[in-house]
Amino acid sequence: MATTTTAMLEATMAADGADQPLLKVDGLSVTFFTPTGAVHAVRDASFEIKRGEVVGLVGESGCGKSTMAYAIMGYLPGEPEVGGAVYLDGQDMAELGPAELRALRGNRVAMVYQDPALALNPTMKVGSQILEAISEHLTLDAAQAAERMAELIESVGLPDPERIAESYPHQLSGGQQQRIVIAMALACDPDLLLMDEPTTGLDVTTEATILDLVADLKGRVNAGILYVSHNLGVVARIADRVVVMYAGQTVEEAPVRDLFKDPRHPYTVGLLSCVPKPVVDTGAVTRLQSIQGSVFPSAQSDPGMCLFADRCPMATDRCTSEAPTPASVSDSHESRCFYPDDVSTDLWDESVEREAPHENGKEPTLTVKGLHRVYGKWQRKYLFFGPKVKPPVRAVENVDFNVGAGRTVGIVGESGSGKSTVARSIVGLVPRDRGDLELRGEDLPPEADERNPDQKASLRMVFQNPTSSLNPKLPVRHNILRPLQKFTDMSASEREERACELLESVGLDASYMDRQPLQLSGGQQQRVALAAAFAGDPELIVADEPVSALDVSVQAQVLNLLEDHQREKGTSYVFISHDLGVVRYVSDEIVVLYAGHVAESGPAEDVLSTPSHPYTEALLSAAPVPDPDAIPTPIRLGGSVPKQHEQFKGCFFASRCPRKLGDVCDNTPPPMQTSPGSPTHEINCHIPLEELARLQDTQVATSA
Amino acid sequence: MPLVVLHVVLALFGQALAPYPPTQFHIEDHQLEGPSLQFLLGTDQFGRDVLSRVMSGATSLISVAAAGALLGIVLGTVVGMSSGYKGGRTDEVVMRIMDAMMSFPSLLIALLVLTSLGPNPINIAGTIGIVFIAPVARVMRSSTLAVKSLEFVDAARLRGEPNVYIIFREILPNTLPVLAVEASVRFSYSILLVASLGFLGLGVQPPSSDWGLMISESRIFITGAPWVALAPAAAVASLVIGVNLLADGIKQARELPKREV
Repeated sequence: MATTTTAMLEATMAADGADQPLLKVDGLSVTFFTPTGAVHAVRDASFEIKRGEVVGLVGESGCGKSTMAYAIMGYLPGEPEVGGAVYLDGQDMAELGPAELRALRGNRVAMVYQDPALALNPTMKVGSQILEAISEHLTLDAAQAAERMAELIESVGLPDPERIAESYPHQLSGGQQQRIVIAMALACDPDLLLMDEPTTGLDVTTEATILDLVADLKGRVNAGILYVSHNLGVVARIADRVVVMYAGQTVEEAPVRDLFKDPRHPYTVGLLSCVPKPVVDTGAVTRLQSIQGSVFPSAQSDPGMCLFADRCPMATDRCTSEAPTPASVSDSHESRCFYPDDVSTDLWDESVEREAPHENGKEPTLTVKGLHRVYGKWQRKYLFFGPKVKPPVRAVENVDFNVGAGRTVGIVGESGSGKSTVARSIVGLVPRDRGDLELRGEDLPPEADERNPDQKASLRMVFQNPTSSLNPKLPVRHNILRPLQKFTDMSASEREERACELLESVGLDASYMDRQPLQLSGGQQQRVALAAAFAGDPELIVADEPVSALDVSVQAQVLNLLEDHQREKGTSYVFISHDLGVVRYVSDEIVVLYAGHVAESGPAEDVLSTPSHPYTEALLSAAPVPDPDAIPTPIRLGGSVPKQHEQFKGCFFASRCPRKLGDVCDNTPPPMQTSPGSPTHEINCHIPLEELARLQDTQVATSA
Repeated sequence: MPLVVLHVVLALFGQALAPYPPTQFHIEDHQLEGPSLQFLLGTDQFGRDVLSRVMSGATSLISVAAAGALLGIVLGTVVGMSSGYKGGRTDEVVMRIMDAMMSFPSLLIALLVLTSLGPNPINIAGTIGIVFIAPVARVMRSSTLAVKSLEFVDAARLRGEPNVYIIFREILPNTLPVLAVEASVRFSYSILLVASLGFLGLGVQPPSSDWGLMISESRIFITGAPWVALAPAAAVASLVIGVNLLADGIKQARELPKREV
């Protein structure tokens, strides 16, 4: 059967000639008509994909990336107006009837979606789902199909195909699920593979392994891959060419190295300078840049000007009166800008020096000692009787750290490592089981309701998702006035005045007071949430992934606001993130959590340099770097954070540790080691520090 | 919508608009007469004008049904939202009580209460209110659970807001669409219930007019004078359908602004 598909492939290739691009998108536009008006999702997009090539498609949210992917599949919701053309192997897709399109989808064009948990049917075994994809397009008998399925499962790097095929999606981890989705997409040897943010919902460690798989596929299957992502680091790692989209237009297209080293569109430069510098660089000395404003609204029709002009630092009169068309910069490099040659990499980078962090008194604002929390109780076999069969879910065990006044402690770890539980225990949303929390030496009751108003005012929290942390039915005013009313004894007019000040301090003017949260962009919402958190002049703000839901272009605004506020008021932060780049940028100290245990903690620079805990090393190695020349680091973590019911006999990380020594790791809890140079730097590992340092330094040396 | 408006107008002004007083007898000459120009929908066994009786019957039915539904909605919302927000064991106990209440047919409870307390409009409305607590509470509890998990509720807790404030100021506005639909559904059930009670003789007492009662009184003559039963039956049916259409309308209007992209 493999031979038949190969033969088919060769036949098509021979017929089309080698030069013809696999996919050609020519002046594509997609307009949806909604009850609230027309939405120009894609305005003018053109690019090509050749066989065996990975093209990355990047841009902020709302730039039409996903719509483009669906438009290529000919699978758009509603009845949009589609302009321009999409050619697959020279065949205009618009000429195909519904039946032909259906035959094409899954067979010649396949798609991998963002959320594997939604792409897989939870009620079917994954094997049957793959078989479904096979039998839809290929005529194979049952035995051949089963063989093909096993082949596919192995080809996406999953061991033990029989067992995997018999599993239901919920029995697999997110990474495994995504591999199955990829296997389904590969079922019929597609010519074109569309991947819509396939790693966005996954942990960095898993993301790294999926990216390795995609890079590996590129060499193995003779297909073109369109990889849609908002993450420049990811694109830098796997793409051959990159297309940048802005407000429904393709604004720049170039081979990956050219794009990252020599961008020719101000928007691309802006995106690049928004990303925190790679973790391995020394010192984060310059402030992050952000692109002011937001994406040109898709509800507006084409105004006959450069759509980026409003946000562009080098916009001229020409930009606002005339629409630029894509112009060649070199053979393979196009930019939709009038002045591609004037674009330089420091266009956005005013290189503002970051001021040195505060060194306030040594007195810690918050002390966390032996924090412990489990969810649930032992479950017995027969409701109330019988042996105890299911232990409670472990969330956090024995976590200790201090937050100094005016300092920022970053907490990193994969999902399931207990980061959020720590955050929620500190503010009192999740009462702790054991352990001590002290605010300025004063004991904090476990529950928020039991704390006195002063303690409530001193400890505030910023949530991950600004859309759900602001009540959608109440105006912005409510979110800011209410804490003022609760925490201060100002009169109504003073409160009003203070609220306006707060809004201004986060870069929003007073007119935002009466807006509804849903009318604001994600970045604006998060800034309102910050203003609300600043309201009671808190001493400590716990920020749980405050920028994870935001585009890179606005991420910097929020981080800079936090920093400014800290410098001004001496507020301390506990900053939780899965993004090492961000954590490194904001933190003075870092705590690395794994499965509810502290793997490593200490000053930021020490934690991120050698010697480090093997887990920290793996996290660093997995983090994508927005630089196509970055050396791929070899350390990958398989599997996922251990099932939370397990009790650890030995080291908590033993089951996944790439540097595991042997039995000692399985049977003895690791000792806490402090490095001689820095007494506050603690590593919980059996491997002696000198040995760790030696191993990790040689690693860097050999890969370089 | 027009159906509901018509009914509300009838309820408010029916008595005044009716061509004859609803209790005026025309016994001598017009017993059980078919529809004619003089009596548009005919007359009943006592020679009363059916049209007038239908029009004036609207008042008692709609007001009692509305009062009952409103009471049920308010009580059910308070119970359901508090229970859902509180969660844990309290929630468990409250919801089991609600389950127990729901396992009795509503008409049965209503009959029981009304036969022991006596049928008057206040008792009817009160009974309907109590009967409706359980179903409303269930619906409101589930929508509260959905909203409760959103972060702004945590944010409010961290501000130290009292529970009552969180439930009614923060959560309630977000459940309004559900509540609106639930209210109109309950209202139509309530109409049916009041009409059924009237039919069984536990509603408004004769000689005042009531749709359920009219149907009940006329069933002896249904073969000879079907119009006497048809008119109030049509009135009940059109009102219920109207309210249901209104509910659908509210639901659609709420969903429309969502973008499909």
